[in-house]
Amino acid sequence: MREKVGIGIDVGSTTTKGVVINSAGQILASSIRPTGASANDAAKAVLDEIEEAHGEATEQPVVSTGYGRKLISIADREVTEITCHSLGVHHIFPDVQLVIDVGGQDSKAIRVGSEGRPTDFELNDKCSAGTGRFLEVMARVLDVPIEGLGPLALQSQNPCSISSTCTVFAESEVISQISSGESPEDIAAGIHQSMAGKIASMSKRVGIAAPVVATGGVALNQAFVEYLGKSLGEDISVPQEAQFTGALGAALLSIQ
Amino acid sequence: MASNESKERAYRKLESSSLLQQTMFRYMLEAQAASEEGKLAWVTSGFPVEIPLAMNLGVSYPEQYTAVVGSQKVGPEVCGFAEELGYSQELCSYARAGIGSTDRPDDSPLGGLPEPQVLLACNNICGTVLRWYEAVSKLTGAPVFLLDTPPVQRRQPSHHREYVRTGLEELIDFLGEEFDTSLEEDKLQEVASNSTKAIDLWTKSLEACKHKPSPLNCADRFLAMAPVVSMRGKEHILEYYEALLNEVEGRIQQGMGAIRDEKIRLLWDNIPPWFSIYKFFNGLAKRGVVFPADTYTHAWTGSLEGEDILNRMVDIYSNVYLNRGLRAKVDKMAGLIEEYHLDGFVMFSVRSCKRYSLGQLVSKDLVTERTGVPGVVIEGDMVDSRLFNEAQIETRIDALIEMIE
Ligand code: SF4
Repeated sequence: MREKVGIGIDVGSTTTKGVVINSAGQILASSIRPTGASANDAAKAVLDEIEEAHGEATEQPVVSTGYGRKLISIADREVTEITCHSLGVHHIFPDVQLVIDVGGQDSKAIRVGSEGRPTDFELNDKCSAGTGRFLEVMARVLDVPIEGLGPLALQSQNPCSISSTCTVFAESEVISQISSGESPEDIAAGIHQSMAGKIASMSKRVGIAAPVVATGGVALNQAFVEYLGKSLGEDISVPQEAQFTGALGAALLSIQ
Repeated sequence: MASNESKERAYRKLESSSLLQQTMFRYMLEAQAASEEGKLAWVTSGFPVEIPLAMNLGVSYPEQYTAVVGSQKVGPEVCGFAEELGYSQELCSYARAGIGSTDRPDDSPLGGLPEPQVLLACNNICGTVLRWYEAVSKLTGAPVFLLDTPPVQRRQPSHHREYVRTGLEELIDFLGEEFDTSLEEDKLQEVASNSTKAIDLWTKSLEACKHKPSPLNCADRFLAMAPVVSMRGKEHILEYYEALLNEVEGRIQQGMGAIRDEKIRLLWDNIPPWFSIYKFFNGLAKRGVVFPADTYTHAWTGSLEGEDILNRMVDIYSNVYLNRGLRAKVDKMAGLIEEYHLDGFVMFSVRSCKRYSLGQLVSKDLVTERTGVPGVVIEGDMVDSRLFNEAQIETRIDALIEMIE
C-alpha cells in the first residue's frame, strides 16, 4: 500500500518552498525556487519537483501558505503563514515558545501555544526594514554578495551605529559611513545590529519567552542570529529546515 | 433544485432599511431647507445637539457626510482637494474630506453639505474638530462655537462639571444672539424626551445582539446608527427605531441571524472602513464570522431624563467613549466581550483618528488578559482607501480566525 503523505507549499514573496512528509512528519522531499512573477507557476514547479524527488505522484490534498497562498490553483486549502510556521517549528522543537521568522519581504513574531497553535503574533509586512530586503539593499551598497554580508559582519569587533530604521535613510547613512572611512566589517555588523534591534522590539510586543526559534531565509545568516540573541537576551535555535518550516506546517495540516 | 437555504445569501438584508433611507433623505431635505432659511448648524458627532434643535435650528453632521464620501469611494479624491490647499495627509480624513468638500462642493458627492450659518464643535471626541471647523469657518464665514469638555480619567471633578455646564449656558447665549431667539424649557424637555426614546430603542436593538445568532452584524449597526447620531431629539425617527427593533425581535423569535451560518462572534473596535464596509463584513459573513458588538455604535447611549436636563447633558457628553481614559476603554471592550459572548476581537487602527487608535496595542494585551480571548490589530483608514491594504489585513484576520477555530 502506498504510504500516506502530506504536501505543503509556502509561497513567499521572494521564494516558494514545498515539502512532502510522511505520516511521522519526516520530510521526504523538499524544493525551493524563486517565486518570480507568477506565484502559480512557481508553486506548480515546486510541486513537480517534490513529487519527482519523492518518486511518485500523490493524491494527497495540497495545503498552501505564505503571502501567495490564495494565488495558486493547485492548493486544496490555504492556511496563513502564522499558523503554519507555528505548527512547523513546534513539530521540530516541541517546547518552542516564540518563533521569529524573517523572510525576504516580511518578518513575524509568533507566540506558540499548546499543540503548536499560535496564540498571538505581530507581523511587519509594510516596511522593508527588518526584512531580507534590507540586507539585500545594504549588501549592494557595500558591494558584497548577499551571502557575504553575514560573514563580513562576524569579523567586526566594533559595530558602527546605524540609527535610521528606515531602509532608505539607512542606505544614505551607510554611504556616508563608507565615505567617512568606517571599515566594511564594522558597517556590516552595524547593519545586522540595527535590523536585529528592530525585530527584537517587534517580538517584545508578543512577549519574549524561551525557547526562541528563528526561521526564514534570514535565519541562515549567523551574524543576524547572534545580534538578535543579544538584543533579546536569549539563545536562539535555528532549525536545519529554517526555510521550510512554513511548508512543513502546511504539510502537517495536509496529512491530518 | 437547490434548496432555498443554499440559495440564500450569507448576509441577510434588513427590511427596515428602506425606512432608514427615507429617514435620511428627510434629514438632508430638512438641512437644505434650514440652510436656505439661514438657520443651519454644522455639529460634531458628540455635540449636545438637543440645544440647537430645541432652538429651532437645522443640523448637518460633517462626519456623517464624510463617511458618505468614503462609502462612495471618492475619499482619496475629496481628501485630495484639502491636500491641494496645503493640508497634510496626516490630518484626519474626515477633516480632510470635510474641508475638501467645503472648498469644492460641486466636485463632491451630493454637491457637498448645505451651507452652514454656525459651526458647533465639541472636543469630547477629539481636538481636531476645532481646527477643522476653524478651517471651514475661513471658507464659509460661519462662526465657530467650541464646547470644551475636559477629558475624564476616573471621576469627573465638580469644577469640571461646572465648567462644562457654563459652556452649555454660553452655547445657549451664543445661539440666542446669532439667531435672535431663546431657549424655551418646554421645547428642550420635548427634544430631550425624544432623544431619550430614540436612544432607548437603539440600545434595545444593540442589546438584542447578545442573542445567538446575532440579529445584527457590524455593517447593519453602522448604517442604522445614522438617525440616532444625526437626528436624536426629532420625533419622526422613533418610527424607524421601532421598525428596526421589531425586525430584530422578529429575527430572534425565528432564530434567524444577521448572517446565514454564525460560527465565530467577534468584537469590532473603531470606525469602519466606509469604502469597503459591505465587502469587508459580508466577506467574513460568508465564512461564518459575525460582529454582534462594536465600541463605536455603542457610543450613542445614555438617557437625558432627569430633573435638570443641562446637568444630564454634562454627564452624558463629558463621558463619551473617546473622552475617557484607556482604563475605561479596556473595561468597555472586556465588558462587551463577556456580555455578548464573543470569541475574539478586531481592533482597526485608523491612521486618521489618533484619539481612537492611540493605545490600541496596549489595550489589546489588557483585553486578552482580562477575557482570555485573542485579538488582532489591523491598520488602515475609514475614508482614505490609499491607506488600506486588503491582503495584509486579510492575513491578520485569517490568522485570528485560525487561532479561534
Ligand atoms: S480625529 Fe477621530 S474623532 Fe476626531 S474627527 Fe477625526 S475621526 Fe472623528
